[in-house]
Amino acid sequence: MNDFSELEKDLRKLRPASPSPVLFERVEHALEGRRASVSEAIGKQSNFAERIGKWWSLGFGLAAAAVLILFAVITMERRHERQETVAQSSAATAEPSVPQGTVQSMTAGRFVSTGGTNLVYNTRDEGLHFADGSERPVRRLRYQTQQTWRWRNPETGASLRVSYPSEEIVLIPVSGQ
Amino acid sequence: MEPTASYDNWRNCFSEVAPGLLLFARQWVQSAADAEDIVQEAFVKFWRRNHNIENRALLYSAVRSIAFDFIRRDMRRARREETFLAETEPAIEPNFELQDDTQSALAVAVDSLPRDQREVLVLKIWNDLTFSEIGGTLGISQNTAASRYRYALSNLKKALQPQ
Repeated sequence: MNDFSELEKDLRKLRPASPSPVLFERVEHALEGRRASVSEAIGKQSNFAERIGKWWSLGFGLAAAAVLILFAVITMERRHERQETVAQSSAATAEPSVPQGTVQSMTAGRFVSTGGTNLVYNTRDEGLHFADGSERPVRRLRYQTQQTWRWRNPETGASLRVSYPSEEIVLIPVSGQ
Repeated sequence: MEPTASYDNWRNCFSEVAPGLLLFARQWVQSAADAEDIVQEAFVKFWRRNHNIENRALLYSAVRSIAFDFIRRDMRRARREETFLAETEPAIEPNFELQDDTQSALAVAVDSLPRDQREVLVLKIWNDLTFSEIGGTLGISQNTAASRYRYALSNLKKALQPQ
C-alpha cells in the first residue's frame, strides 16, 4: 500500500492557476498567422520557406557570382575575337579560319581556378534551441563570412575575382547535465 | 493511425494542458506573465511542427528548453531568478487556485521543495506524465524520476506534520 496515497490525493485537489484568456488569443493569433502562410505555399512543405530564408544570402551570393563570371567571360571573348580579326586582316594569310563557336568554347575553358578564401568576420552564439524532432537542445552558432574565389587565364594573364557575403548556421548538440 | 496535431483542435488540447504547462514553466520564472510567454512559444512551436500530441514529453522538453533560453537572454534576470530559486522562497504570484488554509499550507510546502524534486512532482501530479515520460523530459532515468518523486512526497509529509 502506498504511504503517500492520501497526500497524493490532496495534491491532486490543488488546481494550478488558469492561464489568462489573453494567452489563448495570443496562441490563436500565432497559429492563424501560420495557417495563412501555409495556405499560400500550396504544395510545398511547411518548413521549406524557413529553409529558403536561411540560405537566401548564400543563394543570392552565388547568383551574383554567376552573373559576374558570365559577364567577365563574354567581355574576354569579345576582346579575343577583336584581336583575332585584326591579326587575320593584317597578315592576310590563307590559313583556314577557326569556327567562331570553337574559339568561344576554348576561350571559356582557359580560366583556371587559383583558389579562394573564406573570411569569417562575425560569429554569433544564438544560445540553445530545440531542434526539429530532437529531445535534446542544440547550440546554434551563426557565422557570417566573406567568400572570395579567383580564376586566371594563363594565356592572356586575365584574372577574375568574385567576392560575396555568406552566412552559415551550425547546430552543435548539447549533452544533458 | 496516431493522433497528430492539427489546426482544428488546438484549443481543446491547449485548454487541457495549459494549466500544467504554466505550472511547469513557473519552476524557472517567478512571473506568471513570463511563464505564459514561454508556454505560448513552446506550444506554438510544437503545434506548428505537427508533432504527435501523444508525445507529451517533447512538449514539456520544449517548455524547459525555452525557459532556459529565456533566462539566458537576460542575465540580470537569470541572476535574480537563480538567487530566488536557490533560496527556494515561495513564488510571488500564486501557482494554484487556493480554496482554504490547508491548501495554502500544501502549496507553500510544494513551493519550498528543492527544484529537482518539485519539477518531478509537478510533471507527475498536475501533468499526469509517467516516470518514463518525466525521465525523457528532464534527461534523467526513469528510476531517478521515481526516486525524486518519493523524496518530494516524503519532504512534503514532513513539512505538513504538526510541530
